[in-house]
Order: sequence, then C-alpha cells, then structure tokens
Amino acid sequence: MAGADILINAIRPTLGPVPRIVAIDRTLDHCSPELLDSGGTIAKRVIQLPDYRADMGAMFVRDMFWRLQDQEGDGTATAAVIFQATFNEGVRMITAGLNARRLQGFLEEGIQVVIEELRRQTQPATTSSQLVQVAYTVCQDRELSELLGEIFSIIGSYGRLEVREDAGRGLRHEYVEGTYWERGLISQHMVADVKRMRSEMEDAAIVFSDLRIRHPQDILPVLIAAVKANYRRLLLIADELSDSAISLLLANNKPAHMQILAVKTPGYGPEQQAAFLEDGTILCGGRAFVRSAGDTFASIRKEDFGHARRVWADLHNFGVIGGKGDARWRRRHVATLRALHTETGDLVLRDKLQDRIGRLLGGSATLRVGGASTPEIKARKELAERAVKAVRGALQEGILPGGGVALLGCRPALQARLDAACIPEERAAYRILLNAVTEPFRTIVANAGYSPSAILVALDYAGPGHIFDALSGNIVPMETAAIYDPANIVKAAAYAGLSSAALALTIDVLVHRTEQPSHALPPSPGRRKQL
Amino acid sequence: MKTSSVTLLTKHVLTERVMDGLESVHALAASPGFSQDGVCCAAGTGGLYLSCDGGRSWQDACASLALASPLVTTAVVFSPDFAHDRTLFASVPGGVLRSHDAGTTWHVAPLSSPPPFVTALAVSPNYAKDGLIFAATLEDGILRSCDRGATWAAWNFGLLDFHVYALALSPNFAHDDTLYVGCESGIFRSSSSGRGWQETAFPMDCAPVLSLALSPDFTTDGVIFAGTEASGLWISSDRGVTWRAVSGWETPGPINALILPPTFAQQPWILAVTDTALCLSRDGGMSWQVQHSIKLTGITCAAALSIDQPNIQVILGTSDGGVLLCKL
Repeated sequence: MAGADILINAIRPTLGPVPRIVAIDRTLDHCSPELLDSGGTIAKRVIQLPDYRADMGAMFVRDMFWRLQDQEGDGTATAAVIFQATFNEGVRMITAGLNARRLQGFLEEGIQVVIEELRRQTQPATTSSQLVQVAYTVCQDRELSELLGEIFSIIGSYGRLEVREDAGRGLRHEYVEGTYWERGLISQHMVADVKRMRSEMEDAAIVFSDLRIRHPQDILPVLIAAVKANYRRLLLIADELSDSAISLLLANNKPAHMQILAVKTPGYGPEQQAAFLEDGTILCGGRAFVRSAGDTFASIRKEDFGHARRVWADLHNFGVIGGKGDARWRRRHVATLRALHTETGDLVLRDKLQDRIGRLLGGSATLRVGGASTPEIKARKELAERAVKAVRGALQEGILPGGGVALLGCRPALQARLDAACIPEERAAYRILLNAVTEPFRTIVANAGYSPSAILVALDYAGPGHIFDALSGNIVPMETAAIYDPANIVKAAAYAGLSSAALALTIDVLVHRTEQPSHALPPSPGRRKQL
Repeated sequence: MKTSSVTLLTKHVLTERVMDGLESVHALAASPGFSQDGVCCAAGTGGLYLSCDGGRSWQDACASLALASPLVTTAVVFSPDFAHDRTLFASVPGGVLRSHDAGTTWHVAPLSSPPPFVTALAVSPNYAKDGLIFAATLEDGILRSCDRGATWAAWNFGLLDFHVYALALSPNFAHDDTLYVGCESGIFRSSSSGRGWQETAFPMDCAPVLSLALSPDFTTDGVIFAGTEASGLWISSDRGVTWRAVSGWETPGPINALILPPTFAQQPWILAVTDTALCLSRDGGMSWQVQHSIKLTGITCAAALSIDQPNIQVILGTSDGGVLLCKL
C-alpha cells in the first residue's frame, strides 16, 4: 500500500477549487519541472517507483486513475482520496480479524447504495450558467468556461465540437453549418473556386458507395442515370477511383451541363465506411452501394440518388447541408444511436457513436485555443478537452452539488444501513463507507486551508441545501453558490475509488518477476528476491 | 386590385369578403395596435397588400418597387413596436423585405442560395433591444437574423427536421430565449434563442404540425397548443415536455391557425381555424363550438384583429385568393 499512498498523496493536493500545484521533474530533458494540478496527468507521469513492492501498489491505482481520466476527463483526485480512506480503514478492520472476502462483498453492496443516493440527488443541467460552472470546476479558466457554456447551450450534449490549436493568443470559436467528413476531392481539377480551393453545388444529387471503381465503364451507368433524371450536379462517393475513371468524370464535368465532384468514402475499414454509408443515406436519402454485398452501379436508378440542398468539397473535407432524407428516419436513427451510446461501456465505441450522432445533428462547432507559447497552447488545449468531456457528461447525465457535498448527502442512507446491520463485516463495511464519502469534502476543505472537522460540523448545522464555498470560506445556500460537479464524474470517481479499494483489500499475495528489466531504476534491497 | 363586398349576416357570424385576386393567400398579419391604427397585411401569390382601415380597402404594399409582375410573398409579420418603428417584414423568393415606414419603401435582405421557401416569420417580443427575427422554411430549417433583418443565417443545431411549418416565440422570450417550431415530423424547442434545438416528445406519427400557439401566460402555465394536419389538436402543459390530444376536438381537417387571446389565463378562449371551419372553445379546449353558420372552403391562414370578449374579429385567407373579414 505504500506505493498507492505515495501516488495518492501526490494527487491529493490537487482536489478542489483551491488546488496546490504538483511539480514533476522532467526525465527526458533538462527543462524546468512540469507544474500540474490534474490528478490524472500526475498519475500518468509516474512511471515507476524504486521499491518494487510499492511500485505494484502504485501501478494498481495508477491504472484506475488513468482509465477514469480517459473515460470522464476528471475525478481522479476524488477517486484517489476515496480509495485511500476505504483501503486504509479496510486494512485496519481485516487486521482486527474480519474476513476480507465477506467485507468486500458488503462493500460492493454499499457502493450500490452510494451510487443510488448520488443518482437521487442528480438534477439536469438546464442553464448555460450551470454548464459554465461545471467547466470551471474542471479547468479553473473563466474565459474558457464561459465559452464552453455558450457553445454547449447551442450544440447540445451530443453536438460535435472540435478543439484545435490556434496561432492566435486567445480563444476563438466558430459554428459550421451542416455535416462534414474528413475526405477531400479526389482530383484538384474538380475545384471550381480556385481562389478558395473549394467547390460548391446547390440541389445536388449524391451517390453513396464504398465501391472500388477500376474501369470508366463502371461509373457510366451513374452518369447516364443522372442525365436521364436531369440531375445537373452530382457528388460521387467511392472508396477508390482509377485514373481512367477520374478522367471520365473530369471529361463530363462541365458546369454548364453537369457539375461532378468525387470524394473517397470516409472512414477507415469496412466497419467505419458502413457506418458512414448508413448515416449518409439516412441524412440525404438514396441507397448505399456496398462492395461486400456485391453491389455495382449497373442497376442504378433515379431513386438510388441521395439529395442535399448544398454540397461543398475542398481538398481535405467535404460537407452536406440540408440533406433531403426522411426526417422521421433521421430522428429514429439518432434515437437508436443515442440508446446505444447510453448502454455501451466500450469507450472506443462510445466515442464513435458520439461522433456519428454529432454529425447527424446538422452542425458543428470549432474551438480554437491559442496562447503565448507552444507548451501553453498544448496545456490549454488539453484542459479544454477535459472540460469539454465534463460539460458533455453533465449534459448527458446531469449535475450534482459540488465541493464533495453530494457524497456527504449519501451519509443518511449509509447510516440507516449501518443501524440495520448485524454481521460484523457488514457493520464494518458501512462504517468504512461513511468515512470514505466524507473524505473528498475533508480534503477540499483542508486544501483550501480550513479545518475539515469544524467546517463539517458547521455544514451539518446549516442543514441540507447548503454548501461550503472553498473560495470564500463561507457556508452558503446551494442556489446562491451554484457550485456543481458533473454527475457522471462524481459517480464514476466514487465507483472507481470504492470498488478498487474493495478489490485491493482481498489481495493477499504479490508476485513479481525475478529479473527486472534492464532499464529499471536502481534496485532497492531485495528487489531481486522472489516472493 | 379587385375589392368586393359580399356580406353574409347570420345569427352569430358576420363574414365579409373584403379582397380578391391574391391567387392564393399564404399569410395574414395585423398590426399589434390594430384597434387604434387598423393596419393589416395580406401576403400571397399575387403580392403583398396592406390595409389601413381595418381591412376595408387594400393597396399594393410593394408599389414603390415598381415591379412588372406581382412579387410572390409567403409570409408577413409586424414589429411588436410597430406603432413607433413602423417596421414590417415580408418574405419573397430569395429574400426578406423589410420596411421601416409601414410599407412605403422596402429594403431587401438576400437569403442563402438556393432560395428557401419561407413559411413563417416571427419577430422577437424584445425586438426593440435584441433585433431578432426568425424565418421558418420548408427545406432549410430556421433562418435567424440578429441585426433587424439585414442579414440572415441558418441555425439548425439539433433540428433534425428542416421542413418547418410553424413558429412560436415565448411571450417571455427576452428572459427565457425560448421558441418552438412545428415540423413535418413533430415539434422542436430552442432555449438558446433559436440557435440550438431539442426534440420534444410530440408523437411523430401525429405530425406534421401546421400551427402553434403559446399561452400568453406561458411562463407560469407552460401551455402550448399544436394544430396538426390530420391528427387534431394537441396540448402540452409542461412547456412541451409531454403532449396529449385535446379530447374535445372532433373537427376533421388540418388546423391551419390557432389564436389565443391576451387574456387567456382569465378567459381561456381558443380559436382554431381549419380549412373549412372556424372552431371556438371558451373553456381551454374542453369543448368546441364550430361556426356552422358560415360556409368556408380553402382557408389557408388567419390573423386576429381583436379577440376581446364579446367582440372577436379575425381575417381569413383562402386558397382562391380571397380575404374574409369575420366577426364572431
């Protein structure tokens, strides 16, 4: 546990609105130390501890923090102090003679009580000011928080927001109409507006496919069908077009008669391309021609073309504005993707679904982060990305009273369980949990320079609906303070901290390798000794 | 412009055909101070016409443009502060006309290409300060102008249906930034001043929604009425979160317009206009009285001139280009 304590004690000062800074020495160069106030980033920077026993404990919690940071964007410091309080108290109980496995079982039951209580306290984030506050909780940057509050009140919880580095000094944002994908024109000869290196078409017909066109005659049916249907503007999407096929398109690309643009099918691999084809045809109508299904353009008909009010393409992207697909299908499809997004626990799949839903919502926002130097820009961009994740989570899962107060709100339910419990391990589990849920609050208060016990008594005396404002040092009504945490982060942090600690309590044996890697840090005494 | 004066006097309803020749009437609007100034507008395929005497006589409002042929006008709306700023807006193919002198002269603001078909215009109740105007379109979603109609941009974040037929702003728009749109597939709500949209739970199978009306006391009662094409009248009492069909509504046909009086909280009158009937409820939609005494066909739009008890006066537009003045 020594290693876990070392790591957690490094993260502990970063919890709350008055965080202390942690300085980490850079190992790869001789630059000045890195100054961090993010628990997740601190955990990522710790690669190995000199003592092999301590290292195992540190890596155990580091993995949990890393995962939490990637999944929710924040909450590592909360999870860290909860883990420490739970584990230390649990070890004391086990040393006193309680059964570790049974204790873990009751702790798992108690975790459900905590999560349920947090769920009960959750309220939807409805106003822009709440979103601003949530962002501020994560990034402590007023300008960035206000910008994110405005952006998310427009794009909504599933809206598409790209955070990019900018050459300027401050923050800029813009909104892009319609949907776009990262695939450009297949030939620069299709660029109509040479000045802007861009082509635009109105009321365009669109052919969706992932076909590989080797011969000009393969796309001839498309051109014939388009001419027959009197479509004068055509966007062809295909996975591959041979030079001769491109030549045929260019030869027929005469804006007075027919304007043709061609782009590659977005997505890497059949799965992503299939998702694009599904979304594209729902957005614009028409039919997708799929290689794996043996489709060709030979049988293309008028009804197979999708349509959009406007289409644009440059050498890097193409976009669609006002797809003419069936609105009811589009709404049902978005609802299906949202349900999948809510249900799945697969982080990669969640990100993909989020991206797909964002594109279908018909617009996107871009936040450009500038700064005085490259490291500042990179740091602020990372902060912005974490804040984006937190605000999105708050919109999707709601908000909770901040400052550790939501976890304090779990105490009555835990106390009731404790009062009803008879088995020693059960009573011990609820005692541990009662202590663990107060730990984040205690840490925040201590980090702000106040006495945790005194403030806790004062808060209990003030009654429900009050919160400790660590910035002003006062206990204030919740509606006045407007201090919120994203519910998903609090729940994930509580779950990760408690569940990992419960599991760690059952670990009895440590096994490590006899031969350490050659690049390992100087061995401590007994490092090569096998347990 | 041919003006006729065919009067039908019945027991309950006085109907007068006050204008012909618009080919098809798309929109009607009355000045907010109609009871004092008597100004109203009719927009249709045959152009835009203005009356300054309560609908008795009509003049070509676009005469100053000296056009060779009438300008198809699809929507018209008055500024809420018309008495002082004399401002009105009208949508034409490819642009929005705005006049700051009650229709004497016009300025054109172009819309994005391809030209959208504007189905409805709405001006912010706080127009004097925010200068916001919204245009609902048939294929391009919502267009928004924040500079008093000079420039327009599409704001369709989250609007999954671009076929918009109806538009209604919260009476407390200055504070809640809320507006609703009725679409081909249901109803969407914006609480970000028309820039981002969320779906409401209005059932998709009961859409399209052709008309919307928010209670004048919307901030406290949260009441919204929605008139559909074929599924009758719907109500929400929680700001659009849940919807239910109005049980007393039995009249078939599309509900093209809904009119609520400013005193709806005290006198819960609702006037619903279908293509063939004028239906009046005096009890918040529980029971309805169809005005059978007049024969109406092809009603496309309506506007309230005065709806204070006992004097209810509306103008109706028809698909054959007529404008009817009705007193209930």
